[in-house]
Amino acid sequence: MRDGEIDEILKKAAVRAPEIEPALLRRVADSIQPAMRRVRPLPRTWVLAGALVLIFVAVALAGAARAGFYGFEKMDLLERALIFSTLGVLAWVAGTEFVNEMIPGSRRRISAGGLLGLSGVLLVVVFALLFHDYHTEHFLAAGLVCLATGVLHAIPAGLLSWLVLRRGFAVNSVSAGVVAGTLAGLAGVGLLELHCPNFQAMHILVWHTAVLVVSAAVGALVGRAQRSRGRDLRRVS
Amino acid sequence: MDLTAEKRLHEQAGVDKNRTTTIPLMHPYSKLEMLMAQYQEGDFAAATALIDHISPQLYRFFVAQFASRPDADDLLQETWLRIHRVRHTYRLGEPVLPWFYAIARHVRVDHYRKTARTAAREQPLEEMSQLAVPVPAETGRGDDLEALLAPLPESQREVIEMLKVEGMSLEEVARATSSSVGSVKQKVHRAYQKLRERMSSLALKKGQSEEKS
Repeated sequence: MRDGEIDEILKKAAVRAPEIEPALLRRVADSIQPAMRRVRPLPRTWVLAGALVLIFVAVALAGAARAGFYGFEKMDLLERALIFSTLGVLAWVAGTEFVNEMIPGSRRRISAGGLLGLSGVLLVVVFALLFHDYHTEHFLAAGLVCLATGVLHAIPAGLLSWLVLRRGFAVNSVSAGVVAGTLAGLAGVGLLELHCPNFQAMHILVWHTAVLVVSAAVGALVGRAQRSRGRDLRRVS
Repeated sequence: MDLTAEKRLHEQAGVDKNRTTTIPLMHPYSKLEMLMAQYQEGDFAAATALIDHISPQLYRFFVAQFASRPDADDLLQETWLRIHRVRHTYRLGEPVLPWFYAIARHVRVDHYRKTARTAAREQPLEEMSQLAVPVPAETGRGDDLEALLAPLPESQREVIEMLKVEGMSLEEVARATSSSVGSVKQKVHRAYQKLRERMSSLALKKGQSEEKS
């Protein structure tokens, strides 16, 4: 059997699909009529993504301004250029994808998991290329401080991002949570790169990258809670 | 179309907004997109036109996913309430059908999750496990859309329904299902393999029974 024949059979079957009752259409129209008013459409994707990148930059800079730019001062030009350009590109991609997650029917270039994976792998590759001191000192203690600092700065970045996109609608809140968490995590990593003067390779590879993973996991949990909350609210109403 | 909506259409299309009253509207937008823009402006007639135009497709989408008629009625109403609540998330110039289908799909997934949870809770009392999975309606006709798509998994069924029955493009289906065009193509390919096998076996059976009679 050829594909064209299957197409024909499907089309014929679709014609026999059950008719919709006009009373149902009237009920639907009546249900929305009382709430008819003008609404302002969301801005273009690049405007929203630009706002998200600004948040990313503002959080990282504000955090580093408070804690000190020790890491940035210690870096050479190549390190600065490679690390911050990578972070900038990833923040733009994550910002665009977060906007797409919050607008139904948007084009997806990468899945939420794919974005997290890409960001993690790219950062690990850049860090591995630039830092070669594999000697470790206070690995756990220093690492936990960096992880906590990064995640604590990811929280305001995530909240501000949500504020920008609060009028959006996520058709998959878990996926949107992972993307928002990744973007917020990148702000946390950005702060650590500006602030942390510990250039031991294992410290940066493990703990700085872990901020991204923890932040995305928190985002997924928030998204999941949001989904359950939405369901419960509908049950109550 | 009211003047504000028309002006917005021209502004977004890059047309001189001061000339909207004298020059007939020449825009690159489809009828559905224009109706959507008017709906966002608060035009109830446009909303009604959209409901009349889109609802049969959405209804067919729900029925093809094995929803019973009462379930499909509920899903359609729920979808329109959701569409109304988030109508500001549509941006003029973007394809409108994927926007509708993405919301309908969300409502359907939500409904199935709720049904599965309710069924799981009621299972011990029912002593039967039939409630967890929605079954195709008994139509008695092997060539109904539901019956034809029955052997396909849900993800392939919805893609075939949108692409082959509703005539959406690969790009539109990818947008509606939040996936890539490549992934949609792969699902279609697999679905057609299954459909081909099923239809060939049905044709074989039919031939055998005709020979016997």
